[in-house]
Amino acid sequence: MSKWYINAGPDNDVAISVRIRLARNIAGFPFPIRLDIAQKRRINELVRDAVINDKDMNTDNYRYIEMDQLTTAEAYAMVERHIISPDFAENREGRALLLLNDESVSIMLNEEDHIRLQVMTPGLSLHEAYEMADKIDGILDKKIQCAFDEKLGYLTQCPTNLGTGMRASIMLHLPALEACGAVNQLSTTVSKIGLTLRGTFGEGSQAKGAMYQLSNQVTLGISEQAAIENLKSITEQVMEKERNARQSFLLREVLEDKVWRAYGVLKNARLLSGEEFMDLISAVRLGVCLSILNHIKLETVNELIATAGAANLQTRAGETLEPTVRDRQRAEYIREKL
Amino acid sequence: MLCKNCGKNIATTHIKHTIGGKTEELHLCANCAAELGITAFQSFDISDLWGSLFGDNTAKVQARTNEARCEGCNLTFSEIAKSGKAGCPQCYARFYDKLLPSLQRIHGKSQHVGKIPGPAGEKAMKANHIKSLKEELAAAVKDQNFERAAELRDEINTLEKGDPSNE
Repeated sequence: MSKWYINAGPDNDVAISVRIRLARNIAGFPFPIRLDIAQKRRINELVRDAVINDKDMNTDNYRYIEMDQLTTAEAYAMVERHIISPDFAENREGRALLLLNDESVSIMLNEEDHIRLQVMTPGLSLHEAYEMADKIDGILDKKIQCAFDEKLGYLTQCPTNLGTGMRASIMLHLPALEACGAVNQLSTTVSKIGLTLRGTFGEGSQAKGAMYQLSNQVTLGISEQAAIENLKSITEQVMEKERNARQSFLLREVLEDKVWRAYGVLKNARLLSGEEFMDLISAVRLGVCLSILNHIKLETVNELIATAGAANLQTRAGETLEPTVRDRQRAEYIREKL
Repeated sequence: MLCKNCGKNIATTHIKHTIGGKTEELHLCANCAAELGITAFQSFDISDLWGSLFGDNTAKVQARTNEARCEGCNLTFSEIAKSGKAGCPQCYARFYDKLLPSLQRIHGKSQHVGKIPGPAGEKAMKANHIKSLKEELAAAVKDQNFERAAELRDEINTLEKGDPSNE
């Protein structure tokens, strides 16, 4: 099954992908941080059995992974592909993962909450992603009694997730807005209307290659549909601003030069660090979207972004790589793909 | 991004410093940052914000021996306020009154209007949705935003027609 991030989606020139995350907890158990290993395993099994035995769930396409069976590199490779959180990769004991083969659906067990269900789709496809998440949530709901309160909604370890327990986010490629210094201002503006703009890997991370996550902040007192509509309408405005900024780059020649240079380096470099790669691929992505580089598919660029990280390189190599070796392998991998 | 010191873990601490006009950036993982004595920067997280939301420094008050505890996980309110995290779902019912002002500050509202689990969920959800639309309608009328009010009225009518039991 080909991975979800290889496909192109609507408005893919600016909106790279969408992610819907639902936080759920099982009634009658303390939150994961207060559970011992045996209790955590019990939660893992409860959810696994609920999902695996359901006729509406395409269970043949799911893998059940006990996280402590993975190497550190394998776990971090999943972080780079946005399947799991950095903390879930770092502390693996007693944690498990249900993963759809195309990696668009992942269910983290015993992360901050008992169940963290996540659906990712390419482009600006919020409704599709939510429908999928809602469907799986419905399947879980048949077998598992969720901790829920009429006033406070779904009960979560952190009060910031109470209510719907839903975080909807869109990964945006904003090289033009970043270049004209508009990102900080954008970040301040969206924070006033219940949204947040964060770096590439969520909370506390920096933006790499001008990729930012825009997500809803408020989860209590707003329905899932309303939160998604809000996010969508703001995203559409941001996309328009980014597109306008792309068109009005002062000197088209300068921009074209930058794109072609980036392409030239990616295509010929013998050593590429992760950071340099992200800067260059960001320029190439912009070039593809603006039809400067017509012979490269956006799908190829999306795939490279998801799979050229340090941990993914190590996982494919099957061993720990010294930084120099890693940079050499990354350069080889990219030359091959481009 | 991986830690620039050990090259193994994801960097979580990012520091920019300028000495003699030369700016340098440091990207470190939690372990290396701690080893290099840069722990102070890491402690600013949700628990600090959450704790400081309690204006009277409740978070800093040590747990008193006779303080009420949650039956589910045995935590006291002070302990929850200090970490910013609940211990179990029951904590919310046990300390509802004390938590409410903070929840209001975080979300702006304190009544759930989204999805409801269980077989009765769908119907209850719809009733809630209609209720929140009606509140919005009242607000729109008050603000004399009649265009929005008309939209809301139509939406409410459609929803109410969809389910005959919902008069």
